[in-house]
Amino acid sequence: MINKIFVTFMSIFLFYNFLNISYAVEPNEIMENKNNEIRARNISKNVRCMICQNQSIDESNAPLAKDLRVLIRGEIKKGKSDDEIYNFLTKRYGDFILLKPPLKLSTLALWFLPFIFLAIGLLVLFFYNEKYKKV
Amino acid sequence: MKKQILIVPSIFFLFIISIFFYLLTIDRNPSEIPSNLINKTVPFFETETLLKNKKFISSNEFGNEIILVNFFATWCKPCREEHKYIIKLSKKNNLRIIGINYKDDPKKSIAWLKNLGNPYSDVPLDKNGRIAIDWGVYGIPETFVINSDGIIEYRHVGPITKKIYEKINLLISTLK
Repeated sequence: MINKIFVTFMSIFLFYNFLNISYAVEPNEIMENKNNEIRARNISKNVRCMICQNQSIDESNAPLAKDLRVLIRGEIKKGKSDDEIYNFLTKRYGDFILLKPPLKLSTLALWFLPFIFLAIGLLVLFFYNEKYKKV
Repeated sequence: MKKQILIVPSIFFLFIISIFFYLLTIDRNPSEIPSNLINKTVPFFETETLLKNKKFISSNEFGNEIILVNFFATWCKPCREEHKYIIKLSKKNNLRIIGINYKDDPKKSIAWLKNLGNPYSDVPLDKNGRIAIDWGVYGIPETFVINSDGIIEYRHVGPITKKIYEKINLLISTLK
């Protein structure tokens, strides 16, 4: 019985933590239009904080991250599309500001080398097995 | 047979190790990100200035001579440390230096420049940090070298050290 209670309690606790992902957006930054706010949050999640570097600006408390969050919301209000906003940011900070590197000629290796390595690994495994089967 | 197979992975492993070793030993700062503005014209901005009673309009100022642009603030300690090099740069090359005052209190800036010396020809104010974003600035102090066509030649993030001072001097002498 105690065990059961413990498990239930722990799972609720874990689940709660899972839902309660931290973000840095301050109340006065939030837009009135809910759809626009969701768009702003989505863009912010894909934009790197240049100071903390492994956080998105959605999670970072750095002043520059806040400035960029406010700026993104301003651009949305002006009626800019998501692509226009990403372009605006990469024009100034380069592709590095995007947490996911774009698929370009120069990033082909980055995107496809893992699959090539996987294929090589599978081939090696396959031929290795064949050899031992014969023995 | 087995020994032969082991040769390939060990060569591969050594290759990777040597790459790691190389990256560890060279003088490299991984937090320094190359600027996307190199070889591009200076971003347009228009703002008030600290010491003169006139507006600073970037399109009127750039494109005639080599200009150094330095983002600084009085609350930024490395800015204080690099200031002596900026003064040296302005004296040695008779260089025009524009100091963009980033998110600062004008009163403190005036006192700061009186105290440490003022190498800047103009001090445009970037009150909310919007100009810095247009320049792709992410950690002040940052310094840009702009050639006489108004094109950004070089960007340095962080304080100017002796090494960077020499690098900028060399760059300016080649641009002249």
